[in-house]
Amino acid sequence: MKTPDPSGSTPIALAELRRGESGVVNGLITAALGTSAQERDSMLARLRDLGFIPGARCEVIARMWFGGDPLAVRIGGSTFALRRVEAAAVRVLRAAPLAPA
Amino acid sequence: MDATVKPLRIALVGVPNCGKTALFNRLTGSRQKVANYPGVTVERREGERAAADGRTQVVLDLPGTYSLKPTTLDEAITRDVLLGRVADAPAPELVVCVVDAVHLPIGLRLALEVKSLGLPMVLALNRMDVAKRRNVKIDVPKLSAELGVPVLPTIAVKRGGADALIEAIEPAHWLKQRSIAAPAWTEPSAEEAEERQKDLRGVLGAVGYRAPVESPWFARLDALLLHPAGGLAVLAAVLFVMFQAVFSWAEAPMNWIDGGMANLGAWTGAHLPAGPLTSLLVNGVIGGAGAVLVFLPQIIILFLFILALEDSGYLPRAAYLLDRLMGGVGLSGRAFIPLLSSFACAIPGIMAARTIPSWRDRLTTIMIAPLMTCSARLPVYALLIGALIPAKSVGGFNLQGLVMFVLYVAGILSALLVAYVMKLFTGARAYSPLMLELPDYQWPHLGNLLLGLWERVKIFLSRVGGIILALMIVLWFLSSYPAPPEGATGPAIQYSFAGQLGQLLEYVFAPIGFNWQISIALVPGLAAREVAVSALGTVYSMSAAGDDVAGQLSPVIASTWSLATACSLLAWYVFAPQCLSTLAVVKRETNSWRYPIIMAAYLFALAYLAAFVTYRAVAAWA
Repeated sequence: MKTPDPSGSTPIALAELRRGESGVVNGLITAALGTSAQERDSMLARLRDLGFIPGARCEVIARMWFGGDPLAVRIGGSTFALRRVEAAAVRVLRAAPLAPA
Repeated sequence: MDATVKPLRIALVGVPNCGKTALFNRLTGSRQKVANYPGVTVERREGERAAADGRTQVVLDLPGTYSLKPTTLDEAITRDVLLGRVADAPAPELVVCVVDAVHLPIGLRLALEVKSLGLPMVLALNRMDVAKRRNVKIDVPKLSAELGVPVLPTIAVKRGGADALIEAIEPAHWLKQRSIAAPAWTEPSAEEAEERQKDLRGVLGAVGYRAPVESPWFARLDALLLHPAGGLAVLAAVLFVMFQAVFSWAEAPMNWIDGGMANLGAWTGAHLPAGPLTSLLVNGVIGGAGAVLVFLPQIIILFLFILALEDSGYLPRAAYLLDRLMGGVGLSGRAFIPLLSSFACAIPGIMAARTIPSWRDRLTTIMIAPLMTCSARLPVYALLIGALIPAKSVGGFNLQGLVMFVLYVAGILSALLVAYVMKLFTGARAYSPLMLELPDYQWPHLGNLLLGLWERVKIFLSRVGGIILALMIVLWFLSSYPAPPEGATGPAIQYSFAGQLGQLLEYVFAPIGFNWQISIALVPGLAAREVAVSALGTVYSMSAAGDDVAGQLSPVIASTWSLATACSLLAWYVFAPQCLSTLAVVKRETNSWRYPIIMAAYLFALAYLAAFVTYRAVAAWA
C-alpha cells in the first residue's frame, strides 16, 4: 500500500503541479468537463479508466507556458496529454519524487 | 442452423496503440496500416485465416478503446460489435484481448471489463520483447490463473511472434464452447468502475507486476520535444526539412523520368505513322499521364517523412504542442491527427475524425480537412513552382522549397481561420477533450516503412494508370474533335469541343487570370487534383505546332504564363474542392448532402476570392 508523502496534506488540482513534481491521486471532482451531466460523467469515467484513481501515483513531465494548458502526465507507466480542465478534475496530494531506480 | 459449419469469428480488442492491427496482419496475412499513435484503426475490418485443420476463421480488427463505455464513434463500433448489436456482424465467438505488456495496467483493466461479458477469451500479451528489455515483471502462468483465461506472450511485429497465439485460437479448442447468445452489458456505475480498479490492483499484485524501467532517453527526448519553445522549434524544423527534401532530393530522379517520357514521346512520334492513334499515344497517354508520373519521386519522399514520423511516436507530441493553438480556434485537441492524415489525403483524415467525441467538433474537423495540403496537390504545386520560381538559394534555403512551405502554411492558417469562423457561428464550446496518450518512442520499423511506401506508390501508379489515363483519353478525344474548319489558322484544339468549352469557361475565370487552357484542365481536375496537371500536359501538347513532344510542360508554362497567372492558380489550388471522392466521403460520414454542398460552396468561394486577390496583387506588383 502506497502512503502519500507528508509534504502534501491538502488535495490540490493536478494542474497545479509544476514540471517534475509528483502527486498521489486523492479523488476526482466534477469540473467543467463538458456541458451536460452525461458528458461530464463520461469524461470522468474515462479519466478513471486511464488510471486516475485514488492512490495512483503520477508525475507532470511537461507543461506548456501560461498555465500549463495542456500538460503531459505520466501515470501507471503511460503518458497522457491532458487539457488544463481535465487536469483540474484530478485532485492530488503532492508527493516526493521517486528515488531513481 | 448448424453452428459448427460457420467459420469461428474471432475479435481483436484492446486499448489504442497496443498492436491489434499488427497482430491482425500477422494472423490474416493482410497488410493493414499500422503506426505508432492511437486511433489508426477507426473501422472494423474483417480478414480470414485458414486454421491448421483447414477450417476458416474470421478475424475482426476493432478500433482501440480504453473502456466499453464509449466516448467516440470508433469506440462505439468496438462495443457494438462485441455485444452483437451490429446488423451484419454477429457477436464474436472468441475474443482475443490484446494487452501491451509494457503498459500492463491500462490494458489489463480493459481485459477485466471485456472478460465480464462472458465471451470465450484469450489474452495476447503483446510487445513482450520490449517488456523484457525494460525489465517488466509479469508472472504469466499466474496471470492466466488469476484471469481464468489462456495468456499468450506475443511479439506482433516479428515474424513468428504470434505462433503461440495462433495455436491457442485453433478452432478445435473453441468449437465446443461456441456461444450463440449475444452478451449482455450495462454501463458500469462509478462504484463498479472503482471496484474493477481494485480487482486490477489485486491481479497486478498477484502476478508480481513491476513497471517498466524508464528509459533515460525517452525522458530526455520528452524534455526537449515537449518543451514549449524547444518543442515548437523542433516541430517547425522537421516540417521545414521535409519540404526542402521534397524539392532537393527529388530533382535528379524527376529529371530521369521527365527525360525518359520526352524520349518515349519523340520515339513514338517518329516511328508511328502520323494519325489519330499516334496523337492519342503521344499527346493523350505520354503527354498526359506522363506529366503526373514525373512527380512520383516527390510523393515517395513526402511519404517517407510522414511514415517515419508516424512510426516514431512523435505525432501525438506534435498534437500536444499545437493543442493550445487548436483550442483557441475552437478545435478539439483530437483534431490534430485527422488533420495530419489529411496531408496524405483528406479521405482517411475525414474518416479519422470519428475519434473526436463531440459531433460539432467532429464536423468542424471534417469541414477544414480539405484545406490541409493533400499529396494530390503536390504535382500541381511542384509543376508551377518548378516552372516559374527560380531554384536559387535564399539564406541557405532552396527558394522553391520555401514557396512550397508557404503554400502548406497558407492551407493550415486558412483552416484555423475557417474553424474560428465556424466557432463564432455555432457558439463557443466550454470544453472539448484531449486525453491523448503519448506513446513510447521507437525507431521507425524498416519493413513497415517500405511496405507503407510501396502501398503509396501503388495507389499513385494505379491512379495514373486508371482514372488519370482514362480521363486523358476522353480529354484527348474532346480536344481533337470536331476537326478544325478549312482554312483555320489557330491550333486545331481551339475548334474542338474542349477548346470551345475552355473558351466559354474563360469568361468565368478570366478575372482571376486563367487562360482557356487552364480552364479546360480544371474540369477533369474535379475528379482528382493531379489530373489537372495531366490535362494541361495534354492540352498544351495538342496546341503545340505538332513536333513539340510530351514531357516538356514546365518550359511551356514558363514561357507563356505570367507570374500572376501562376500564383493565382496556386492560390486557387490551396482552396478549391477539386476532388469528388472527398465530397462523397463527407456525404457518407455526415450522412447528409447538406455538408458536402456547404463544403464545396465555401471552398469554391474561397478559391475564387483568393485567386482573384492574388492575381490582382501580383499583377500590380510585378
